[in-house]
Amino acid sequence: MTHLDTVVPDAPTLPRKPRPALFTIATIAAAIALTIVTARSVDFSFGEIIGNLSRKNSVVEGLLNPDWGQIWSRRSRSAFIETLQLAVLGTATGATLALPLALWTTTFGNPNRWIRTVVRSFNNVNRAIPDLLWASLFVASVGIGALSGLLALFFFSLAVTTKLTSDTLDGIDMGPIEAANAAGASLPKMLRTAVVPQILPAYASFVLYNFELNLRASAVLGLVGAGGIGLRIEFFRGRGDWEALWGLVFMFFIVVFVVERLSVTLRRRLV
Amino acid sequence: MIRFEQACVTYPNGVVGMKDLDLTIDDGEFVVIVGLSGAGKSTLIRAINGLVPLTSGRLDVNGRDVTKLNRSGLRELRSGIGMIFQGFNLVDRTTVLKNVLMGRLHEVPTWRTLIGRYPAADIDLAARALQRVEILEKAYSRASDLSGGQRQRVGIARALAQEPAIILADEPVASLDPPTSHVVMRYLQQISRELGITTIVNLHFLDLATAYADRIIGLRDGVLVFDGPGSDADEQVFESIYGRSLTADDTMTKHAAL
Repeated sequence: MTHLDTVVPDAPTLPRKPRPALFTIATIAAAIALTIVTARSVDFSFGEIIGNLSRKNSVVEGLLNPDWGQIWSRRSRSAFIETLQLAVLGTATGATLALPLALWTTTFGNPNRWIRTVVRSFNNVNRAIPDLLWASLFVASVGIGALSGLLALFFFSLAVTTKLTSDTLDGIDMGPIEAANAAGASLPKMLRTAVVPQILPAYASFVLYNFELNLRASAVLGLVGAGGIGLRIEFFRGRGDWEALWGLVFMFFIVVFVVERLSVTLRRRLV
Repeated sequence: MIRFEQACVTYPNGVVGMKDLDLTIDDGEFVVIVGLSGAGKSTLIRAINGLVPLTSGRLDVNGRDVTKLNRSGLRELRSGIGMIFQGFNLVDRTTVLKNVLMGRLHEVPTWRTLIGRYPAADIDLAARALQRVEILEKAYSRASDLSGGQRQRVGIARALAQEPAIILADEPVASLDPPTSHVVMRYLQQISRELGITTIVNLHFLDLATAYADRIIGLRDGVLVFDGPGSDADEQVFESIYGRSLTADDTMTKHAAL
């Protein structure tokens, strides 16, 4: 058996240990300080939260005694179906258009620097606008109803799937692109045969994930008048009918949970 | 016929890839280009199909001046030149057949490519190409399931599916073990001889070069330093190409014995 100290007899001196990164320490300290300062400025206190919740409160009482009958009422059911339809349509339109849009942001998919810059800027602006803001904008301009919700979800899906797909495109193997070009392929043919097969499983997974997001978002969109189950929740909230409201919310939880489980299972098979 | 006249390539970062090259390669020749990495082997090969543009000089390929071609002219030129790569450049996630069909892209209408429905005649050609390198039974396997040697044969089939007049092979065996390297080199040699395809291969192992080449071209720092039949390429010639005496690292057989 060889002992290392017979092969390397002199105790080696290690190179100087690098100093702990000051930047990391400063960032952590700043994050803690910022949390404390903001908590103070909004008068955050645990006591108040517990105090408010334990006082006699019709909202919390409704939670303990939800109206299950509301789930099966005809109106609630059609509102649920509208929510699902919104999520499906918003995903189908937005996520489909996201694929070419993501390809246009890459150097290999779009040789024109100016068009690339324009498409990237559009994506950045689109991503900066939250779904609720889109919904409020369309409710104001198009009117209350499902169409506003659909438009909001379309732009929201476009933003999410484009971003995720672009990030995947950054990491693809460039070899097949060179091979397609060397065989005399035009740009669309090259993208279809050398790029799309590489990202297709990831893209399909993003579309499903986007559908989950849309289903959840479509509930909230109704609160500003953009159709779906949210409109119905808002209706009961306005009437102060908390039992019916909680019944609907529980039903919504179940729907979201089931869809999410299905989607997660499917996505695991894809990647 | 391929003819370089006073051809130069200087890359944007100042590196000289080709300097005052005068070279003529006749139809059907099997040429091996040797040189150290960075000597300009890849530059020479990629100049022929216009992947690397000349900075100055002239280059005729099959009667066309490559430097004057526009984008569609370049696609036309490339459709007649098959290319084989060191890293195979296959799409791993898709089938062997789909990879070989990439060689038919220039002929297949765009809409058919987009929906992935290739004409029967092109599928037939792809199958023949696979048959030629004896790997037809893997047509519906995923490219990622193949061994290195099998992948390079798919690479050769993809080039063959173009029905090319010229095949360019950029270090086709650099990622393979010695026995597999010989298999791949033999396929390239057979194809060149039987189908009369002009074949230009970059290699950095000298014994492989002398074993297969009809003609060896030596490059050093972008300059042509040797041009002659494989039998003329003795140790002295290789020293002029490599700028030093030969070591075991320069030949594959001794390399493998180490």
